[in-house]
Amino acid sequence: MESNWAAEHLQVIRTLMERSALYRRALAPVMIFNGLLGVAGGIVGWALHINSAQAFIGYWAALGVAALIGSFLLVRRQALKESEPFWSPPTRRIAQALLPALFVGSIAGVLSLACPNWDFLQPWALPALWILLYGCALTAAGFFMHRGIKLLGWLFILTGCALIASRCQTDALLSLSGGHQVMGGVFGGLHLAYGIYLYFTEQRRNES
Amino acid sequence: MNPQSFLQLDRVIHEKGRLAIMSMLAATPELSFTEMRDALAMTDGNLTTHIRTLQEAGYVSVTKSFQHNRPLTTCSLTAAGKKAFTNYINLLEQIIQQTKGK
Repeated sequence: MESNWAAEHLQVIRTLMERSALYRRALAPVMIFNGLLGVAGGIVGWALHINSAQAFIGYWAALGVAALIGSFLLVRRQALKESEPFWSPPTRRIAQALLPALFVGSIAGVLSLACPNWDFLQPWALPALWILLYGCALTAAGFFMHRGIKLLGWLFILTGCALIASRCQTDALLSLSGGHQVMGGVFGGLHLAYGIYLYFTEQRRNES
Repeated sequence: MNPQSFLQLDRVIHEKGRLAIMSMLAATPELSFTEMRDALAMTDGNLTTHIRTLQEAGYVSVTKSFQHNRPLTTCSLTAAGKKAFTNYINLLEQIIQQTKGK
């Protein structure tokens, strides 16, 4: 009986330690913001026919920076509202987990933009690479967040793999002209869907 | 069970609320008052009382500062607090081992 008591005590301690290390900012506003930005970016890019490699990369890189700044401001606002430090240890862990994959994606974009003769990676392949790397970044960050983020990361990874595999049959999806639909649909659509799901589930969790 | 192990358990940490605070602080360098209050579903008064007891025992240090004109209270474990928490965990494991051994 004493053994059970002590074991239960240790289990409670373990659970509390895990919980305190988890990132617990509400993600619904961040996801919805990024989703809307992605969908709007896809529609505008497609409507304006931004189809040259340089313009495509520059356009989506600018949107990526806007998404990053917007997410930063939303998270910072939440922290200030709750009188909590913004750059908390869980936030630091998330940033460190996201950084390697996002860094590789940025370097690939910068090289494609700055070196038109760079033939290591064709510009039409960039959306699939970005989607795959973003999925890896989310999966890594998911170790310090709620389980859903890891699943979202896997959805990005699987979608990226499906896009690469689609080149076996057609080059319509992975092409610069179809790139805006892919970026808007995948980045915008998945973020938006997950944001709406979180909006209702996080609200319910807060009420209970 | 050897009653000596049980008697050695630190009474300051052993209380449910204070053990929860110590557990959370042991996993992260620092936590704000509001983060702990929300995570542990404690009232402001309850949490303040427990933190004061831990502070008096020398296990927790409290830092008060301002962030964008808002007061910010953060807590962290002191070296003595880390040591006491480790001892507490070790004793619990010892109790489990002793009972299993029988």
